[in-house]
Amino acid sequence: MTRSSLLTPLTESRVWRSFFRHGLPDNPLDRSLVMTTNIFFHLHPVKVSRPSLRWSYSFGLGIISAILFALLVWSGLLLMFYYAPTIERAYPTMKDIQMTVPLGQFTRNMHRWAAHAMVLAVILHMARVFYTGAFKPPREFNWIVGVVLLLLTLGASFTGYLLPWDQLAYWAITVGTNIASYAPVAGPMMRELLLGGTEVGQNSLLRFYTLHVAILPLLIGLLVSLHIWRVRKDGGLAARRNSEVK
Amino acid sequence: MAAQTPVSDDIFPKHTDKTFALVELVRGESAMVDKGPDDTVFAFPIVLLWEIVLSLGITLAIFLFSLIKQAPLEEIANPFVTTDPAKAPWYFIGLQELLEHMHPVVAGVLIPGALVLFLVVLPYIDHAREDAGIWFASARGKRIVVWTAIYAAVAMTAYIVLDNAFSLRELLRSVAPQWIAQGLLPAAIIALIVILPALALWRLKANTRQVMLALFTVMIVSAVVLTVSGFLFRGPGFKLYLPWQMPNGYNPWDGL
Repeated sequence: MTRSSLLTPLTESRVWRSFFRHGLPDNPLDRSLVMTTNIFFHLHPVKVSRPSLRWSYSFGLGIISAILFALLVWSGLLLMFYYAPTIERAYPTMKDIQMTVPLGQFTRNMHRWAAHAMVLAVILHMARVFYTGAFKPPREFNWIVGVVLLLLTLGASFTGYLLPWDQLAYWAITVGTNIASYAPVAGPMMRELLLGGTEVGQNSLLRFYTLHVAILPLLIGLLVSLHIWRVRKDGGLAARRNSEVK
Repeated sequence: MAAQTPVSDDIFPKHTDKTFALVELVRGESAMVDKGPDDTVFAFPIVLLWEIVLSLGITLAIFLFSLIKQAPLEEIANPFVTTDPAKAPWYFIGLQELLEHMHPVVAGVLIPGALVLFLVVLPYIDHAREDAGIWFASARGKRIVVWTAIYAAVAMTAYIVLDNAFSLRELLRSVAPQWIAQGLLPAAIIALIVILPALALWRLKANTRQVMLALFTVMIVSAVVLTVSGFLFRGPGFKLYLPWQMPNGYNPWDGL
């Protein structure tokens, strides 16, 4: 008996059919349905062009950025169980995470290195898309979504930088927000809005925390979905024109 | 069309209207064997397998790195004790490096604003679709990228070193008003460094794509030079030192 005939009773069962709307994906129809009927897979195209699958074409940098984002959400959620965003408790809870929480230091390491890696991966991804001309029509809008995602990534990393509430964090954010304040008229206002005052303090910590754990990750998650969905809608990864899906 | 009776000749039907005909059958592979009409494959399972392999690989890489290198945690934040040097996170340190050379409005607002604007309008300027999906568009494009990368690396390094040795801001402090010495003049120098390769390419009849390749390369290489300079070569007092000769035991990598 072949493998598919062994599995047919399972994939034809009412329970299986209530979960999945397709049979075993060993034929073109079911391979299409597995992508289109699944909420996680439907961001992918059903068919991809062979040239665009070559490692040396894309280096997988977009997917790598998304994977790093997932790693960051996971390690960040673990850290959230212990971290308290007040200037009295932030630093002691950081010490707790490093000294007493099981695998705390390791989780924090993962979060920090994945964050740096994500900024790097996103920048490299942008360079890849530029140098392969993958931003060209009809993909202009998706390029702009990508530029916004780059800025959001920088914002997410920057807001996270303050949270340990050590000297490194405090002075990096002081220097960083000073750069923003040089904009005429709007600059000092923007700095005050971000910091919740004229200098880095309790309000800033709470604002950075809220941006870091809620607003920016939600925006990134939303825009990444749009970004990947648009790749599919625009005909997959830009490949040489003669092999592009018309 | 008038009704016509095609002359049937077994396997090679002849049609009186046609200027072409099937004249021979050849055994062999056509160019499209095992390929869809657009050379595509089903995303399931190849793309998902790729994603799983990448996920495991990236997680493992971060995992191993986290085992050997600890995330830094310094003393508790103290607003009354400034660290020396006080540096922005590495991805903003290029801007901090620029701030050393010119007026903050130019370095902190105009230049980053111009960069974001350049990125946003880019696909509307460079919109020819022919070379989409081809690295550097052509062999000439590749040469342009390599040469502008070398040019930008040399020009930006020279600018940082020269401006550090003979600071324009200091030389012209008593001669010219501040907005010229610190604003207009450095901005003009940076603009010249950026525009020079574009002008040269224009003279060489390069197309829009090739000019954009040069501009983007100048942007990204300059950002790398400024970041490396700010991150590795700036020590106490944000002065230039060789990374292995930092005073006071300062190690730039500690602040990552």
